[in-house]
Amino acid sequence: MRPTSTAIVCAVIPALALTLAVPLVNRLEPRVLGMPFVLAWIVAWVLLTPAFMWVAYRSVRG
Amino acid sequence: MNAAIALGIVALVVVATIALGLFGVRKVAMDPQEFIVGGRRIGALLLWLLLAGEIYTTFTFLGAAGWAYGKGAPAYYILCYGACAYILSFFVAPVVHRLARERGYLTGPDFFADRYGSRALGALVALLGFLMLVPYVTLQLTGLQILLHIAGYSVIDPVVAVAIGFFLVALFTFAAGLRGAAWASVAKDGLVLLGVLFAGLVLPTHFFGSPAGALDAVLRDHPNWLTIAGPGAPNGITWVVTTTILTGCGFYMWPQSMAAVYSARDEDTLRRNAVFLPLYQVMLLLVFFAGFTALEVMPGLQGSAADQSFMLVVQKYYSPSVLGFVASAGTLAALVPAAAQLLAAASIVGKNVFADYGITRSAAAQTRTTRILVLVVALLAFAFWALAKTTLVGLLLIGYNGITQLFPGVILGLAARRPPALAVGAGIIAGLVTLTAFAARGVSQLAGVNTGLVALAINAAVLGIASALARTPVREGAPAGS
Repeated sequence: MRPTSTAIVCAVIPALALTLAVPLVNRLEPRVLGMPFVLAWIVAWVLLTPAFMWVAYRSVRG
Repeated sequence: MNAAIALGIVALVVVATIALGLFGVRKVAMDPQEFIVGGRRIGALLLWLLLAGEIYTTFTFLGAAGWAYGKGAPAYYILCYGACAYILSFFVAPVVHRLARERGYLTGPDFFADRYGSRALGALVALLGFLMLVPYVTLQLTGLQILLHIAGYSVIDPVVAVAIGFFLVALFTFAAGLRGAAWASVAKDGLVLLGVLFAGLVLPTHFFGSPAGALDAVLRDHPNWLTIAGPGAPNGITWVVTTTILTGCGFYMWPQSMAAVYSARDEDTLRRNAVFLPLYQVMLLLVFFAGFTALEVMPGLQGSAADQSFMLVVQKYYSPSVLGFVASAGTLAALVPAAAQLLAAASIVGKNVFADYGITRSAAAQTRTTRILVLVVALLAFAFWALAKTTLVGLLLIGYNGITQLFPGVILGLAARRPPALAVGAGIIAGLVTLTAFAARGVSQLAGVNTGLVALAINAAVLGIASALARTPVREGAPAGS
């Protein structure tokens, strides 16, 4: 089963959000649910990762 | 009396978990295939628990809180790297699993031995995995010592407590193998989840009204604690990003993770696990809250003492039975992963050194050697524990720097045209030499970049140059294991 281009795009987006994008969001404000923005960003992307990977999964399953 | 109640609860939970593990394997015959990879029949739910069980270790329970306490925002990398690793595993793990099934791999190093047609490369990878697992098992031991020391209200000798706990885990691994460890994970994960909910929600709510209140309190006393420092700073933003990349790549390189990949029932099980495992990761957020709460309630712990942070709060402000339950969750979080790690370290050397070089010839002798090696690793980790005193995260990063050197070899090993074994081996050795040179100088960051990533780059460069010089790529269907 070859990875589809949809799967690759769905994988790259959260991976970038959790690595190279972190320096861009390394701020305290605005705070989200009391969390500093950078932590809220990371938490949000960890929660979004399964959604992206589910789309990737559907695409390789055909 | 307090110590008796708290330690009594810990003992009861440990014994019950070991019983559950042994119950799970009561009718399973222990040949090497069963002992090491659970007969390759482990389904989605048990695999989830096994993979998660190896991830949510005493490191999660104490180490992540310790870093939130001692360093603050750099701890966020721990939340990032797991998700990155699962994303990567979505593509890599199913292919590795298919190769393992088709060609009968038992251990991580088997992949190298077969894909690069070199028994020697398999042995090198096995010895590297063995060595890098020692600090990881030591991490679990350090965690055990902290937990038993605190649950014992400092009245019992920590060395004795760790020796007992470790003896139990070695015995358990010896008897139950991988499937037993997976069953023990069932009890462990349930209890750890309760422990983390308590530490991450009940503690901050008790002292500050809510987790957000705890963050406010931290920001009042330490305005910069919750954001990451600048690019060049120690543990600054460059470090966080490079460490996330390094540990994300290294995550599945551990021999026990490779064994878990082999043990899956099918490729689809692995893909679905990769999709949903990041949800488990969110537990770490609560662990950070626990660490931040402890920083405000009980400030002043220095260095590796930070790993005790929220457990000391529980000890001081809650009853011995609450302490006992939280400590028993942590104890399982140390013992169960330690069992899988011991098993992995023992099985790679048992298979890729002893069996592949003809030192053990029969399957029975191989299982026996693996069991003896379990005890050898346990003793080595015990010695390392007694000698080296560093933080839990520090121990984990030592292991990750080393094990991630396998990453280029695994990725290139998936291709139809592969570099020669010598180039892969040269790259690994170059990476390790680099790491040793940095470690000898006490350097762990170079202009903010994690030195493990520097070593990985040198590894890849040497691999590339050596294979360009050799120009004899190994083709599909090369002879295995010789």
